[in-house]
Amino acid sequence: MYSASEKHILEIKGADFSYEKEKPFIKDISLAVDNREFIGLLGPNGSGKSTLLKLASGILRPTRGTVDLWGKEIHDYSNRDRAKLLSYLPQLLDMSIPFTVREFVGMGMYPYDTLPELTVDDAIEMVGLSSYADSLITNLSGGERRRVYIAMTLLQGAGLVLLDEPLANLDIKYQIELLRLLKDLREKRDMTLIMALHDINIAFQFDRIIMIKEGRILGSGPPETVLTRERLNEAFDVDIELKRDDAGGVYIRY
Amino acid sequence: MKIKFFLIILSALAVFSIALFCGPKWISPMGLSDMDRQILLSIRLPRVVVSVLMGMALGASGAVLQGVLRNPLADPYILGISSGAALIAAAGIIFGVTIFGVFTIPVLAFAGAMVTGIFVGAMGWKRGGFWPDRLLLAGVGLGFLFSALLMLLMSVSSNEGLKRAILWIYGDLSITDWSIIPYGVIFIAVGLAIAFSRAKALNSLMLGDDLAHSLGFSPGKERFILFIAVSLMTAASVALGGMIGFIGLLIPHIGRFVVGSDSRVLIPASALGGGMLLCIADLIGKSIVSPMELPAGIITAILGAPYFLYLLRKRDVLSI
Repeated sequence: MYSASEKHILEIKGADFSYEKEKPFIKDISLAVDNREFIGLLGPNGSGKSTLLKLASGILRPTRGTVDLWGKEIHDYSNRDRAKLLSYLPQLLDMSIPFTVREFVGMGMYPYDTLPELTVDDAIEMVGLSSYADSLITNLSGGERRRVYIAMTLLQGAGLVLLDEPLANLDIKYQIELLRLLKDLREKRDMTLIMALHDINIAFQFDRIIMIKEGRILGSGPPETVLTRERLNEAFDVDIELKRDDAGGVYIRY
Repeated sequence: MKIKFFLIILSALAVFSIALFCGPKWISPMGLSDMDRQILLSIRLPRVVVSVLMGMALGASGAVLQGVLRNPLADPYILGISSGAALIAAAGIIFGVTIFGVFTIPVLAFAGAMVTGIFVGAMGWKRGGFWPDRLLLAGVGLGFLFSALLMLLMSVSSNEGLKRAILWIYGDLSITDWSIIPYGVIFIAVGLAIAFSRAKALNSLMLGDDLAHSLGFSPGKERFILFIAVSLMTAASVALGGMIGFIGLLIPHIGRFVVGSDSRVLIPASALGGGMLLCIADLIGKSIVSPMELPAGIITAILGAPYFLYLLRKRDVLSI
């Protein structure tokens, strides 16, 4: 499918995008993502995080520039072939349809004609929901529902997973559980994860932070180098600073 | 699930058999006379076949549309397709058009349905895809317009065709014969096959367009294909026996209650359920005040409305 020499699994080159004519929303963004990276896309509301993820997943087409997946323009893939390489979980997840957990997760097999290496029950077990396999998703908690989606993504088997604010509206307990699960899966399944977030508190959990504001990248690199006071102030329009305490914990000072 | 589906098939066969042998006159399957054979083959069998075909088309169309439009209140008539069919066919009846012989009314109804379907589809198309809200609003708007034109037509008409037109609009199976059935079979079978073959896409569309895209489908294209399937089935159904209400709305909800939300099971289950309900409704309609007949559409509404209200109390069942 791809050769090991192709280092970047995703590469966006000089991408512009606008929802309305003459009003560019994403402006000349270029970024490259390497295999097994765990990337946090950080920025305030309306900064373009979701739009950038939709460009990266091929849902939207850039008005200028290109998006390459494993060295090939993403829109040149068939829908099914792309789905085997890249999976996207939107921010607003519709959980009102009474599918069972097993039915829901099983949709991860849709891009395939033959059964993938992982079974539906394996995927459900990996996210710790085996005892809920026959339950309706409408009866699950918010955190459990997110896990159902993660299980579906696992079954889909894509190496690159884009998640739009997966921790939004979750209690802190579920946020921590989900973050641990994703990091664990990244290790075990060799996945590359790009996650949009606006909660600075969890930014140090990532290998790399891409900070974005008004459709432009303000900085990209390890959290320690990107999350400077100046850059945070510029991004969020407020004087905040990330500090480490003696135990290594991180807190926001404002 | 397999056992449930097997039971649904058995129930459907039982209902179809009962509808064949019961009626204003009971015909015993043992020792059929020539007269009985004549009644069965020339009157009852085509009528049962038409009611099964129409019920299947409406039940399956409802299951597809509720998913495509992501709206639990959607039914095959919400897109205005049937109103277009009714307007053209009723006009044909009232003005005594006979250009296609015995096929005049079905052909007019089918043409009206397909032209309306194309128009609604064009209104719902924007930026390379079908948009559920646009489709829904275009269908509802056009449906109101056609209904108003139909009422206008009927209010200024006083000829003999008027009563026939009204009966036909409310679903009248009493004029069925074998001649039209093969055409109905073809269109409904094609529509069902398309819908069933896109059941996975329909499941993913129910989760939202972005997730459908992520699972390897093109939402706009899939919606277009499913819209074609529904248009074919609805047009064929209206052409066969007029407008039969409630089946397309009610049956998918009962289907979800029995077999769940997976469209791969729900579409065939809704088709069989629709066939059963219309068979029963027609049997009641032609037996209860014999020798008079009540249109099957009135019976489905009388049977369906209370059960629908009962289901309304179970909110989970009424989501798509």
